[in-house]
Amino acid sequence: MKRTDDDAGDDDPRTDGGTGEMFGDSEITAVTRRQRARETFDESVIAPFKVAWADWRTKVALLILGGFVATALLVWLHQAGYTLLNDALRLFGSPWELEAPRSPVGITDERRSVRPFENWQYPLGTFDNGVDILSALLWATPSMLQMVLAGGVFSTAMATAVGTVSGYKGGTVESVLNTIVDIAMSIPGLPLVVVLVAIIRPSSPYVIGVLITINVWAGLARTIHSQVLSLREQSYVEASRTMGISTPQIIRTDILPNLMPYITVNFVYAARRVVYDSIALYYLGLLGGGMAENWGVMLDWAYNLYNALTVSGKAYMLLAPMVPIVALSMALILLSQGTDRLFNPRVRTRHAGETVQEDDTDREVNPPA
Amino acid sequence: MTDQDTRSTQTATHSTERTGSTDGTADHVLEIRDAEVSFEMDRGVSRVMDHVDLDVHRGEIIGVVGESGSGKSMLASSMLDAVVDPGVLSGEITYYPEDGEPVDVLGLSDRKLKRLRWEEISMVFQGAMSSFNPTMGVREHFVETLEAHDDDVEAGMERARELLSDLYLEPERVLDAYPHELSGGMRQRALIALSLVLEPEVLVMDEPTAALDLLMQRSILSLLEDLREKHDLTMVFITHDLPLVAELADRIAVMYAFELIEIGPTDEILRHAAHPYTRALLNATPNLDAPLEEMRSIEGAAPDPVDVPDGCTYHPRCPLADETCVADDPDFRQVDAAHEAACFHWEDAAEAVPFTGVDVDADPQTSITEEHR
Amino acid sequence: MNWYLKRTGQALFTLWAVVTVAFVLAWNVPGSLVDHMVDRIVQNSNVDPEIVRESIESRLMFDPEASLLEGYLTYVSALLEGDLGYSFVAGQDVSTTLAEAVPWTLLVMSLATLGMFAISLALGAIMAYREGSWFDIANTFVGIVTTSVPYFVAAFLLILWVGYSDAPILELFPPRGRRPPRVDPGFTVAFVWGALRHAVLPALSYLITGYGLLALSMRGNSIQTLGEDYVRVAELRGLSSRRIALRYVGRNAVLPLYTSLLLSIGFMLGSSVVLEQIFQYHGVGYWMYEAIDATDVPLMMGTFIVITVCVVIATFVADVTYSMLDPRIKSGDQGEAY
Repeated sequence: MKRTDDDAGDDDPRTDGGTGEMFGDSEITAVTRRQRARETFDESVIAPFKVAWADWRTKVALLILGGFVATALLVWLHQAGYTLLNDALRLFGSPWELEAPRSPVGITDERRSVRPFENWQYPLGTFDNGVDILSALLWATPSMLQMVLAGGVFSTAMATAVGTVSGYKGGTVESVLNTIVDIAMSIPGLPLVVVLVAIIRPSSPYVIGVLITINVWAGLARTIHSQVLSLREQSYVEASRTMGISTPQIIRTDILPNLMPYITVNFVYAARRVVYDSIALYYLGLLGGGMAENWGVMLDWAYNLYNALTVSGKAYMLLAPMVPIVALSMALILLSQGTDRLFNPRVRTRHAGETVQEDDTDREVNPPA
Repeated sequence: MTDQDTRSTQTATHSTERTGSTDGTADHVLEIRDAEVSFEMDRGVSRVMDHVDLDVHRGEIIGVVGESGSGKSMLASSMLDAVVDPGVLSGEITYYPEDGEPVDVLGLSDRKLKRLRWEEISMVFQGAMSSFNPTMGVREHFVETLEAHDDDVEAGMERARELLSDLYLEPERVLDAYPHELSGGMRQRALIALSLVLEPEVLVMDEPTAALDLLMQRSILSLLEDLREKHDLTMVFITHDLPLVAELADRIAVMYAFELIEIGPTDEILRHAAHPYTRALLNATPNLDAPLEEMRSIEGAAPDPVDVPDGCTYHPRCPLADETCVADDPDFRQVDAAHEAACFHWEDAAEAVPFTGVDVDADPQTSITEEHR
Repeated sequence: MNWYLKRTGQALFTLWAVVTVAFVLAWNVPGSLVDHMVDRIVQNSNVDPEIVRESIESRLMFDPEASLLEGYLTYVSALLEGDLGYSFVAGQDVSTTLAEAVPWTLLVMSLATLGMFAISLALGAIMAYREGSWFDIANTFVGIVTTSVPYFVAAFLLILWVGYSDAPILELFPPRGRRPPRVDPGFTVAFVWGALRHAVLPALSYLITGYGLLALSMRGNSIQTLGEDYVRVAELRGLSSRRIALRYVGRNAVLPLYTSLLLSIGFMLGSSVVLEQIFQYHGVGYWMYEAIDATDVPLMMGTFIVITVCVVIATFVADVTYSMLDPRIKSGDQGEAY
């Protein structure tokens, strides 16, 4: 893998790492360290972000995700007792208000199975039990994003830790970790999660997110492992090693920054798994109860409880939750496609509008390595 | 365009004269006239090989030397009409078979071009690893090549075995192996054998030893010498490594900025190089005998193919450059019987760019040639 | 040969590890789940809870009161005899239930995998050869959109489409069940044809939502391979374009997709829990759903083990096949062993 910031990585460990070890934290080192941190941030976060943002797919993805985050924040505030959203709606005289998606007490028949776009009190209609579909759709966003966040962070952290340590340490550590990764990879995700959830019966979205990614990290760990193996052979890493810099510091300063693009893409992958599997768990009735707190519950109600596909005129109940599910999933796919070029120089040049022959002359101009 | 036109006619006359004076028989196996390779690019037309005229004599080893990006790989590909796709090759390339009519290489039909390649003119590429299909055994590479040319596979494989053992390889072991199972040197030799299996007349080699260590480079060079003797081969050896090719080549052609700038017998070039660039190149070559402080790298950078300097392309870096060099592109001037250089001031070059510590009588074996490592 | 031995050893070790994981999970079950089951049964009938508890515990595969090691040994020896316990929901042994269900799940999975790979490889290769054309751009777009649809959403949409369209399609691809009614099982044309028809919609749900990413990777790999030196050398050597497309470009572009194959096998078997519930398709996943629904612990653990064993075996088969296609695998891991 050829990365543009190789040069920076080449020099830094010598200056920073070297002085830090030998002279302790003098003022000068502190400055260089802060400087270096900023440089690392520039290289590994800002520069890739700029490249990624140049792609329309990243833009669309981030717009959709931004919409989800904004919605989730409003709903989350509502759930926490700050009814900003409904206050604002009332101010504009909106007939619809956000409400908890559970079957109302003393429900009247007018509220049952309202079809969408007929009664603006329930813009997207209601289920047979009177639950407002729009409210249910929105209600599910905060916990969904919490699950995605927890799952993404957990699996990425786990994969990065296992991948870098096994790749860098080698020897027994490597073979033991590799075996664990192999086993974790060959256990199919959903059944394992189903069993775990059946036993643990979690309710916190964070715990659910972590449980879902309980073995998702393995695949990512393997990717990172092989990346670290090739990075380890790079001259600047070898230089740091010869200078006697400690392993954790080499990993932190030399290896991790180069793995950032992989980590980003892997985060997206794990996030997608969390979306799919959490919906599946709610759909199967393993999680939740009584309330449409997830789009999976809505699918379950529509399909299994109210036979939305067999009773004519009820398909809207099933179609409604599909919209945010597909939107979220598409945003994640677009994000991973858009960021793909970050670490694939071939794709990067090809799509930056450069022509093939330029590629060829490049090869000619650069001295053979 | 007028400038270029006159220049090329002049060159053409020159080359006829030259060949006449060299051996009198004018036994050329390849004649390249006014060959040019250009790419359409967003930034403009990129000319990566510019009006090159070159004669390859039958049975010789000619070394084409130039720094990376000088267009020498394009010259190699041109000889087989194998310039990679959006590149456009124009000019005239004529192949003279041992017996038979001259062949206009660029005018051949696809079917005939397929026959010419590998059967008459063959090529060895830089990366031997990447020249083999990693998922196919070495034997299959030989067999499929023979089959593609409707050759007798059994007789062909017999030739392959002989070639491999001539290259000091164990034929059966190599044929049974997969490419990744061979070492770099073995792979390179297997590739040479593959390129010779159809008994071509001309073997074009593009940096064939670039990825190998010094020892392996030497041994391959001596094997190439043996192969030439045995098979009456003509070889075009393309490299950035002047001292390396000097050991092997009968003649040396130097390329700079997509043009040929000097050509002559190896000894002549080494002792009396007439183009300031060639002299600078020789000075930039590390030599065990030369004190380190006398080593000179060439100042400045090689030009961009889209934006080649007017006049003599070397003028921005040349100590001898004057207004003439900026205004006009020099054509070839006769330095010696078979020695030509494209420089207005070639007579002053020796004085302006003296050889620094290069002992021309020194055995070239002792010079370190790893300028890129 | 050495490589095969090593690989077999690894597969066996994985199987052992999976069984152990299953045991650890099952060992933790009795406290919460048995209570849960007892509650459920007592609610519906007026039986003495203690009797129910005893009956449930007697049907677990080990005595929850025994020591961990003892429990483990009983469990593993029972498994080795093919005993997975008794299922309340199915009303028969778990092993009998699942042995009958596995082939159906595998049928759907192999249909989906074969179809998906056939379509993606061909499509990806054509897109690469016509890079930048309308065909390429349109298919890239469609690929991204279909990939964004979760398999269960595709399943609902397929049922919706079949259910709302004219009768012939409904008859051709039934959205419920796994085999035609009133046809005796056996290797008769009517039965096989019926079974295939029932498998089409579940397989399509995977195929439609899975082919996109695969085709896009095939496209990327092919473009990369087309730029390799060995393809150029092969052209110069005069090989036919057919041979270059198949043996040079095709083969080298397909091999990196192997990881995707492994992932998709695990993914499909895992998601059968949801998909088979949607299509009421009585395969392994369906029984896992039933087990969860009724908190039938032996059946739940049984399906977990069987699904995982299927994945391990499928991975093993894929690995061995791959090693035959890519010579680089068997001779050490390309310097990865350090």
